[in-house]
Amino acid sequence: MNQFKYISPKTKEEALEILQEKKSDACIVAGCSNVLPNIRNKKINPKLLVDIVNIEQLKGIYRKEDKIFLGPLTTINELIYSEVIFKEYNVLTQAAEQFADPLVRNTATIGGNLVTASPAADMAVPLLTLGAVIKIESIRQKREVKLKEFFLGPGKTVLQDDEMIVGIEFEQSDINKNGYFVKLGKRKAMAIAIVSLALNLEIKRNKIIQIRIALGSVAPIPIRLTVVEEFLKNKEINNKLVEEAVSKVGEEVNPISDIRASEEYRRYISGILFKRAFNKLT
Amino acid sequence: MKKIEIEFTINGKKRKIFVKPNDLLINIIRNDLYLTGSKYGCGIGECGACTVLLNGEPVLSCLTLALTIDGKEITTIEGLAKGDELHPMQKAFLKNGAVQCGFCTPGMILTATVLLRENSNATEDEIRDYMRGNLCRCTGYVQIVKAIEECASEGKTS
Repeated sequence: MNQFKYISPKTKEEALEILQEKKSDACIVAGCSNVLPNIRNKKINPKLLVDIVNIEQLKGIYRKEDKIFLGPLTTINELIYSEVIFKEYNVLTQAAEQFADPLVRNTATIGGNLVTASPAADMAVPLLTLGAVIKIESIRQKREVKLKEFFLGPGKTVLQDDEMIVGIEFEQSDINKNGYFVKLGKRKAMAIAIVSLALNLEIKRNKIIQIRIALGSVAPIPIRLTVVEEFLKNKEINNKLVEEAVSKVGEEVNPISDIRASEEYRRYISGILFKRAFNKLT
Repeated sequence: MKKIEIEFTINGKKRKIFVKPNDLLINIIRNDLYLTGSKYGCGIGECGACTVLLNGEPVLSCLTLALTIDGKEITTIEGLAKGDELHPMQKAFLKNGAVQCGFCTPGMILTATVLLRENSNATEDEIRDYMRGNLCRCTGYVQIVKAIEECASEGKTS
């Protein structure tokens, strides 16, 4: 394996200073489950690994007024065992339970899953339907970016070389309580999604008050289906509406053909997964 | 490259060694400490053959930098038996013929002990779900699941 230096700062401020100084020579690691395979496959060649796993400020799941805050170092297993996530943001629990395998889930972090910016990122899809906001810091500035504006392309995000994620936040609301996640892969363990879908829904008297739909592996980035969402909002639920929505889902997604599935199949199955999720929640 | 000293506990014994920043835990365990029970399989976190317990939790030692275990506690398959007395999970694997080529066995057994610690009455479905990151390329899953089920039903979790 290529050589690199290693440093493990104990505070956020220390880590940001290192990033400010080293810029693109530095690579942040936490769980290492993406970075180490990438170094070994020679996809990346960082001169310095900045291991942030010991920074307590970046850990934890807690309530802040009417919001919930996730430290970026929250592991996938911590999400699975969190009672507040299970009760109020169940779509995230469901996605965490389908993430890789129990061994990887012990070290892989939610922040790592987002910065990797895979089009198939399992945690990005439910976080999109929860309306998550990403808190970003550098020595220069602090800023917040909506998750749906965070990804730029495969492996690319709005993060600058000197910035890092310091938190993930989303609101406590009725729509966030009622969610469903479904992932189609070749097998259960370690499978990269062929298509994944999250749906959050608020219904009153058979009418859709609010709806958020997100999909993975159907575009260069995990996406929200805003056209379908607009189409369904304030409508009375009936079979015809669902069938129309299913075909609109297939139109709005923008998949490619690759080793896992063809474009046509992905368009078709996106609609099917939407229907499954919709029926589950209504 | 400059080596750095780390101190940790492995199978109950304190050890101090020097490691390079890019040394992987699996290589240190096998090549420096001569504990060859843990296996190097895929090297990219797909197969689970390199599973060890880090502070009691199963992790993949091929995706763990040796430097990061400073001050922590490691258990490998060699640390499960008490003297000549095998761990109940090891006995159950032997009794049920759950070992074929043996390459996946150390990882399987370590993950299985944590499964039963968390869920001592695990059903077949729960066992299969929890063990999904440990691959057996002899495909001897039926016997492996049977061994874990037997351990669960007898309440022998440690």
